[in-house]
Amino acid sequence: MSSRPSYVVFQGSQNFRLRIMLATLSGKAVKIEKIRSNDLNPGLKDYEVSFLRLMESVTNGSAIEISYTGTTVIYRPGIIVGGSVTHNCPMSKPVGYFVEPMLYLAPFSKRKFSIVFRGCTASHYDAGIEVIKWGLLPVLERFGVRECALHTLKRGSPPQGGGEVHLIVDSLIPQPITMHNLDRITIASIRGVAYSTRVSPSMVNRMIDAARKVLKPVNCEVNISADVWRGENSGKSPGWGITLVAATKKGWCVFAEDIGDAGDVPEDIGTKVAYQLLEEISISGAVGRNQLPLAIVYMIIGKEDIGRLRITRDQIDEKFIHLLRDIKSIFGSEIYLKPVDDDDTGDLIAMVKGVGFTNTSKKIA
Amino acid sequence: LKGSQNRRRKWDIGKLIYMDNIPPRECLKRWRNEDVGDEEEEGSDIEQDEGEGFFKKNDGSFSKAHDYEGDLERFSPYFDKIEKLMEKWSSLDSLKDRFIGVPKPEDSK
Repeated sequence: MSSRPSYVVFQGSQNFRLRIMLATLSGKAVKIEKIRSNDLNPGLKDYEVSFLRLMESVTNGSAIEISYTGTTVIYRPGIIVGGSVTHNCPMSKPVGYFVEPMLYLAPFSKRKFSIVFRGCTASHYDAGIEVIKWGLLPVLERFGVRECALHTLKRGSPPQGGGEVHLIVDSLIPQPITMHNLDRITIASIRGVAYSTRVSPSMVNRMIDAARKVLKPVNCEVNISADVWRGENSGKSPGWGITLVAATKKGWCVFAEDIGDAGDVPEDIGTKVAYQLLEEISISGAVGRNQLPLAIVYMIIGKEDIGRLRITRDQIDEKFIHLLRDIKSIFGSEIYLKPVDDDDTGDLIAMVKGVGFTNTSKKIA
Repeated sequence: LKGSQNRRRKWDIGKLIYMDNIPPRECLKRWRNEDVGDEEEEGSDIEQDEGEGFFKKNDGSFSKAHDYEGDLERFSPYFDKIEKLMEKWSSLDSLKDRFIGVPKPEDSK
């Protein structure tokens, strides 16, 4: 298919960050073609270019070529070096868009990651701050990345932004631990944060009340805190949102989040997120749908050993298939899905053999 | 798709995922037996061996218009409309075994 056999070739703008990250981890060059080639605005968007710049600053020796029209990118990865960086995110995407891929790379870096991201801190489609802090970092912890933190220095709601978060990843590990999780999550407690910037704190309490009302019948400890930001540190725009996290005793969790727009009623958002959390719990196997890519990638780059993760039938969606296909194109390894045989839930066990990736900057004993 | 007449009844999702010529949405449909539009449901070919030769090459799958549901660039997952969710979770019985501290209907663990 490809004219240049030295690249792994992809087409389309989908999974852009994932492909770049997988390329970086595997050390293979990728070529992504036909990026929005049929679009009215063809080529890379500003946030994707910004992401490539970020990749350039946390790696050493990366080469990025972008064609004139921006519809083709060739990326030759260097090694991950990390360090202290400040990244100004464009207004079109919140910081979560940039922090999320960094989580895949940070533990395998030469130096510790300490990146300050400036920009919006919330949106409808990307990971919020609390979701990263309470939903994604716990997943990393399961793979042996214990010392990582995301500090919120300033919040900035869309559209004006003005927020600032600081990602610190202090544990540098040679490779992720092989992980087995064969149990469905059993929720022990539900936590949450409702935040607001530059609006009345009553919005926060109204969201909390609505969410608590929905979650009351589950008969579980519900603890939602209010986080009201005022003055200098609350960014340039008014905004509010809620994140709910349902956690097990062992620290696995699933979550749901949303933010309010102008004209939304806080009660509606609180109710909606609470119901979405219930839905997500019902769909989730060992991890939620949002955490699945992170978990699978960490399992793939693990030791040459079989890791196991329980997933439900509902979790096999288009994203999941795209993820596995992209992983196969780059790492060449497939995962094996085995039905669970000791109960009748119809769940599957994803058995993943690690590719034996090692952090290039670490000596293996 | 009308082209794939010789469909098996039961698909192995593990194999379907890696059949690159089938777009993911189609994979899911086949796996869940959703597109029962045409009349190949006799049940005679359940145990037939799979073979990629059945399917027409569908190489346009990646260049198609933006498919947000399948795009990992979008972090938040798909949820049904709030009205549907409210209806679905008006009773929490099916979720009972996912919480600690709620008495289970029977000892299933």
